[in-house]
Amino acid sequence: MNSAVLESFRQPRVRQTDAREGESFWLRIDYVFVLSVFLLGCFGIAMIYSSSRGPDPAQYNRLNSDRQAIFLAVGMVVMLATAWIRSDRFRQASWAFYGLGLTVLLLVISPLGASRRGAQAWFEISSFQIQPSEFMKVAFIMALASFLGAGSSKLQVPRLLAGLAIVLVPIGLVMLEPDAGTSVVFVVIAMAMIVVRGVRLRHALVLLVCSAVAVGLLLSSSILEEYQRERLNVFINPDTETVDTYNVEQAQIAIGNGGMFGQGYGQGSQTQSGRVPEQHTDFIFTAVGEELGFMGAAGTVLLYALLLWRIARLGRASSTTYGKLLATGVLAMLAFQGFQAAGMAVGIMPVTGVPFPLLSYGGSSMLATCLALGLVLGLSQGREENFNPAFIR
Amino acid sequence: MSVRIGAVAGVVALLFIGLLTRLWYLQVLNTEDFQSQAQTYVPANTIRYATLPAPRGRILDAQERVLVDNRRVNVVTLDASTARERADADSGYLLHLAREISRHGRPVKVANLEAAVADLRYGPNDRIPIAYDVREEFAIIVGERAEELPGVRLTETSVRHYPYGPLAAHVLGYVGSITASEVAERENHPKRYQPNDEIGKAGVELAFEDVLRGTPGWREITISPDNQIVGERQIVAPIAGFDVHLTLDIDLQALVEEQLRLGLERARETPIDVDPEENPEPENPLLEPATYPAPAGAAALLDPRDGSVLAMASYPSYDPRQFILGIGEEEFASLIDPESYAPFNNRAIAGAYSIGSAMKPFTAYAALSTGLIGDRGYVEVNGTINDTGSHILQDCEGQCEFTNARGESYGETDLRLSLTVSSDVYYYQLAEQFAIRPGFDEEQVQKTAREFGFGAPTGVALPFESPGLIPDSEIKRQRHEANPDAFPDADWRVGDTLNIAIGQGDMAATPLQLANALSVFANGGTLHASNIAQAVKNPVTGETESDYTSRVIRNLYMPQQILTPILDGMVGVTELRSINYSGTAADAFAGFPGDWTVAGKTGTVEVLDKNDSSVFMAFGPTEDPRYSIAVIMEESGFGGRAAAPVVRNVLQSIAVGSVPSAETLADDGFLVAAIGREVAGAR
Repeated sequence: MNSAVLESFRQPRVRQTDAREGESFWLRIDYVFVLSVFLLGCFGIAMIYSSSRGPDPAQYNRLNSDRQAIFLAVGMVVMLATAWIRSDRFRQASWAFYGLGLTVLLLVISPLGASRRGAQAWFEISSFQIQPSEFMKVAFIMALASFLGAGSSKLQVPRLLAGLAIVLVPIGLVMLEPDAGTSVVFVVIAMAMIVVRGVRLRHALVLLVCSAVAVGLLLSSSILEEYQRERLNVFINPDTETVDTYNVEQAQIAIGNGGMFGQGYGQGSQTQSGRVPEQHTDFIFTAVGEELGFMGAAGTVLLYALLLWRIARLGRASSTTYGKLLATGVLAMLAFQGFQAAGMAVGIMPVTGVPFPLLSYGGSSMLATCLALGLVLGLSQGREENFNPAFIR
Repeated sequence: MSVRIGAVAGVVALLFIGLLTRLWYLQVLNTEDFQSQAQTYVPANTIRYATLPAPRGRILDAQERVLVDNRRVNVVTLDASTARERADADSGYLLHLAREISRHGRPVKVANLEAAVADLRYGPNDRIPIAYDVREEFAIIVGERAEELPGVRLTETSVRHYPYGPLAAHVLGYVGSITASEVAERENHPKRYQPNDEIGKAGVELAFEDVLRGTPGWREITISPDNQIVGERQIVAPIAGFDVHLTLDIDLQALVEEQLRLGLERARETPIDVDPEENPEPENPLLEPATYPAPAGAAALLDPRDGSVLAMASYPSYDPRQFILGIGEEEFASLIDPESYAPFNNRAIAGAYSIGSAMKPFTAYAALSTGLIGDRGYVEVNGTINDTGSHILQDCEGQCEFTNARGESYGETDLRLSLTVSSDVYYYQLAEQFAIRPGFDEEQVQKTAREFGFGAPTGVALPFESPGLIPDSEIKRQRHEANPDAFPDADWRVGDTLNIAIGQGDMAATPLQLANALSVFANGGTLHASNIAQAVKNPVTGETESDYTSRVIRNLYMPQQILTPILDGMVGVTELRSINYSGTAADAFAGFPGDWTVAGKTGTVEVLDKNDSSVFMAFGPTEDPRYSIAVIMEESGFGGRAAAPVVRNVLQSIAVGSVPSAETLADDGFLVAAIGREVAGAR
């Protein structure tokens, strides 16, 4: 038998990578990044337990927190696995992901999807609900980064317009669910990525005016459900008495009730009596604010900011336009969602159904977030040709 | 680009600084304000969510008359901890209370009040109900003399109300306190069952529980630390349950119940007919002759065109108003006690009876449809069999001679006459031919019985329906294997087939099954599933939520050459009066209005160690059958003498249009609360 063939049997099969030699995956990875994700996830589980265990001490309900622990475990694995795979592989596949994402979004607004709270945004599979728009955000960031990353110099009008098409199609589908909160996230991500890619000032201004007009038209049209208009109305005019003012008011009372050091874990009277709606999902920040006080809430915000800072750092260190844009997109997504979810709890943003990434209960949100984080973390691997380690070490 | 990423990060940093500033503003600068606001909501036990009960749907008859409704009654309640303290300190407290309540229209015993107060099912914060439906003036006593009777409060509750009193009790059923296991089974039920709720326990109330029950609403009550209600708001409004519209006609129901009761009373005055052959010893002539016990019976009246149940009676009956405020355990035990003939039991659907000779039309159909009776069969339709009074089986061991009831013989008997006079020998011969004739099925009679719906529930939407029983070789063998002592014979014998052919032996059917099977002859071949409800409607909008149209189970082969001879024979039962023969129910139908013909069949069932049961089934008018009825009366004697007059009276009232209007009760104050007693089925 050919000796080379024999040799290949003796050698352990090693997956071929073009990583720099001598440094394993585990040495090059950004541990501050990984650790902050893990801590935020664990903290989220603790707050989910406190805010959804129910009033009966004899039989606290652990269903949500147990499930979230599974989501976090799977999410961490997904993140590390994603980071381990070469980022240009994902780049090549980004259009496939984008296409797949659009198809699934189309399916969810078809009769196959399930409706909850007025929006048809879920697939129900046994006792789990999958929200495809969460995953669409990631596919969309990949596709836009890939598209804008090609070509050089300033963004020319044709490419800019084509980029806009990539943005508008998923927004349109999400609006059909309708889910206004998620579509705003898309807009914010796109604006950040276009700005970072480099755009002429006058183009940027035109875009800004256009999106302002679009939002204005949207609000006055009948696409928004009654309850969504109501929520915006509550935000603009807080004196109206509706169920939504009640929710916003209760959330602020809860956070204010926390004071400097909080009522104590599991002791928040507003949280424990379940006065704040969705307090283990979109409104989880109120539970943090009430039970752990300013120290806890500010600590959470700072830990979250630390993670965002690491994302920005990896983006700057990336040598490719794709990498930089990818990091920007993920940064914009997480920063805006975190700000939105905390902001509506403290009353500086209108109420829209956006979960707090990593903290809020929800498998789709957790897995999509971890996928996005894994893509960014993969940039620290130096698997790009000219990764600049100066930004890392 | 890296610079611009930095710029984006800078914007993010600004946003987060804004967030932190806001947090500082809420949690540090203004925390006292928010904490005091939160105090109005806290602690957790000062917010209570109370259920707003939703009205239960009504039950109406086919003419939209309300059979079951809701009524608000007042309740005198006692605060448990106050009452216990006072009762310990002052022995006159409960006596005084009992006297005051009794003065206001609801006599109540002190002993019962004591038991109620001592009942540990009520926690210290509960209110114990002690009397219902007292006169309104009692509110004045509670209001003005509060220091005299501390802890007493007059509140309101909703109870079921039966405008027709005990009529149709078995069909309507009743509601009762939900049990712990019933609550557990309904965890996460959209209509939110709670431990103090009521739930349908029998009849339509049980079968239509899901639609009758309303969806309770929620109310949030804010209670300050000193136990004052400081806020109350409705969060979710209750939604009324749907109305169930029955096919029942309450006038016909009243008529059938009344005639069944009268029929049983007549039977109790009828001397027992003693068979001289079996009992040669003459009775002591000085003694009053023994009469039939006639303890129980049932009837079902259907519209044969679609299987609608028009009336359904079961005797003895009970009064559903006993259940309104919970029934005592003793009373409930007597309702299900076999010694008192279990009044609770709806015999019309749950009583499986032998039907005796009422089986013969079905046996005749089996023979006609298979050709056993026919030109090339054993006997022609118009051909005769010589009924000598007995029949001896061929190739037989053991008991081989089968005789007519009471030793009668009818001579040359054709199919029509065999039905009219109820010749057993004619059917013995048919049955034997099924067993021995090549090409015929020994179990043909059972097969035909199944086609007519025997041996299977009719599908009427009422709980606890018996499927009846059609014995065959398989069942006989299984019984033998399960209990060889009681059933020594494992093998199916020709004699068993003979018994089935004339409806004796183990075959059993419910009165509803019998009326429904008879309807197949009446409507020309269609077996329907019986319907008790025609629609479920939203009481608020009046919209129909569900519509129950007639359900066809199967169509039977029923050409005129099969139907006509059977029908002729059955019309003869009520009409034939000649010198030689008369129909078995001809006496009962003597003088029946001429423009109506009735086709019927009697049955007299021999029951081991008991007097004969009386069976009669009939439909009419034969030109355009609209009514089909079956009556079975336990230990009441001959079918033609006991059950047939009941049917005659019912059909005659219908035929001459003199069905009296059912009376509604002026006083519906039949409210006996099981205060201070063990309540059956509660908690």
